[in-house]
Amino acid sequence: MARGTSGLTSGQARRHAQPERDLELPQHAMTLTRSVKAWLAGALLCVVPGLAHAQTYDGPRTTAGHPDLSGIWQVLGSAAWDLEAHNAQDGIPAGLSVVDGGTIPYTPAAAARRETNRANRLTHDPVRKCFLPGVPRITSLPWPFQVVQTPDLMVMSYEYAHTVRLIYTDGSPHPLPNDFWMGDSRGHWADDTLVVDTTHFNGETWLDAAGNFHSNELHVVERYTPVTEYHIDYEVTLEDPQVYTRPWTMRLPIYKRMEPGLRLLDYDCVDHLLGALSQSEGGAQ
Amino acid sequence: MNTVHVGRIAVVAMSLAAVTMTPSTAAGQGGAFEPPRTTWGDPDLSGHYLPGPYQALETPANDGWAPPEGANLGQGAAFSRFFEPDPDAPAQPRASAPSGPMIIDPASGRVPLQPWATEQRNEIMARQNQLEHLDPRVRCLPAAFPRAHLPVGYNTYQIVQGPGYVLMLYEWNHHSRYIPLDASPHPDPAIKLGMGDSRGHWDGTTLVVDTTNFTDNTWPVGHGAPPDDAPGTALTTGHGIFHSGQLHVVERFTFVDADTIQYEATIEDPDVFTQPWTLRYNGLQRAPDDHMLFEYACHEGNGRNLSLLTGTDVEAARVHPIR
Repeated sequence: MARGTSGLTSGQARRHAQPERDLELPQHAMTLTRSVKAWLAGALLCVVPGLAHAQTYDGPRTTAGHPDLSGIWQVLGSAAWDLEAHNAQDGIPAGLSVVDGGTIPYTPAAAARRETNRANRLTHDPVRKCFLPGVPRITSLPWPFQVVQTPDLMVMSYEYAHTVRLIYTDGSPHPLPNDFWMGDSRGHWADDTLVVDTTHFNGETWLDAAGNFHSNELHVVERYTPVTEYHIDYEVTLEDPQVYTRPWTMRLPIYKRMEPGLRLLDYDCVDHLLGALSQSEGGAQ
Repeated sequence: MNTVHVGRIAVVAMSLAAVTMTPSTAAGQGGAFEPPRTTWGDPDLSGHYLPGPYQALETPANDGWAPPEGANLGQGAAFSRFFEPDPDAPAQPRASAPSGPMIIDPASGRVPLQPWATEQRNEIMARQNQLEHLDPRVRCLPAAFPRAHLPVGYNTYQIVQGPGYVLMLYEWNHHSRYIPLDASPHPDPAIKLGMGDSRGHWDGTTLVVDTTNFTDNTWPVGHGAPPDDAPGTALTTGHGIFHSGQLHVVERFTFVDADTIQYEATIEDPDVFTQPWTLRYNGLQRAPDDHMLFEYACHEGNGRNLSLLTGTDVEAARVHPIR
């Protein structure tokens, strides 16, 4: 099985970690005027080594100076149905393409496979079997997800099938070869952007409900750039020499859920699937 | 189950063998150890942990229970694939593990089931080949509590902490719970969650977690598989103990030394048990430095196993991917 550019080193898996959470700026800073806040943000960024000039983001930051992405987030729109431009169907909204250039650059063989997937999506879509959705499909599904941020680790917990991604930000490399539905993720901050590098996919997941797919050589780089404290610009570059003629990029906003007291609830689709068994053969269409 | 995980069981078993097992303290001595603190002053629970050593949940009944005549226990090749220990894994170090029972209240050391619930449990145990009576764990439904903290060979833990919360990650079936420490209330009782809703607070250096709002489709007690020397029908494993959804669990996490967290749980369900009851054991053992939680893709590899066990074509079912 081919491996991607994962920089493997034996024995250098997850380090011993006692992650302490960076503290937010003191609350009284939030009552200052906008201009004073901007000056403070600029002054703090100037004295913290390694950070560039101030970006436009003026939301919460950790004591290390990074944007604090803690909270509950969710994507809008219908990219989960189809990443490319699509018209409405019964129960499915229309949507513009989220792909730079409009369409995914498949090889001819892969393009044919995509059409086969699409024609058989009611039976072949792994998410219709309640399988883990992979990356970046998990982000675009219309369920919320929660980010917990510590210096060594970002935990993203998704309401959909209680999926969890551990994004190691301690500098550790991808582990020894293995195949995961959600891949293995290693992240770092580049200015105000969280860059997440994910490899070690098993090739069993799709990118949306329309049959767009990848192989086990998929390499995903996500860039989470918060713009305000209420939304993140999410940009994803996908590379897979088995399937695409070149790397390609998709982008869509992620919005903060603002309801007070919100927590992730359950979407335990394994339970729904077993319920479907008792109602009819083959379950839902 | 996912083939990656067969190897993982061996890895976890070897890690258990490699870790020097500190002698477990007697029940009731927990809390004397002063743990290190986080930078914001809370006891520092963060890190990776392995489950505590196996010990019997309850005192054996010695009531002569046996499966009913002619009961189909789902025995055979498929059954044994779930319950056979990994032949490549070294045996768990039993010598230093207390023999149990974990149950400290009631004094009998038995789960205080109401009589109807004991009958129902026996019925379930006799029909393990039927999908609706099968251990929900085997269907990849949630473990609930306290089961997520009872010893099984395929679960490890990671605890992440910050001001105002504790996040517990469970390798088993990629569950997690975010535990607010802000005295916020449980949600509307109509909201049901497989792992319940947990709210926590500190009692000295003990983390106390109160959990309600459970769905009723789980077995919240019980080891993941019976021990080597007990048949699958043994009632000492907690197997087959269900709940009504009124389940209410209060857990206490207390360091007894630098590498050992004592786990205590008081379990209450007025429809099923005759009284609240409590178990306690050294449930979390600090893992080796290079430990990481691996992806546990439970359902993804499970279709054929379920079909073999129950004769139901589970793999044919489909659900809506999104609304």
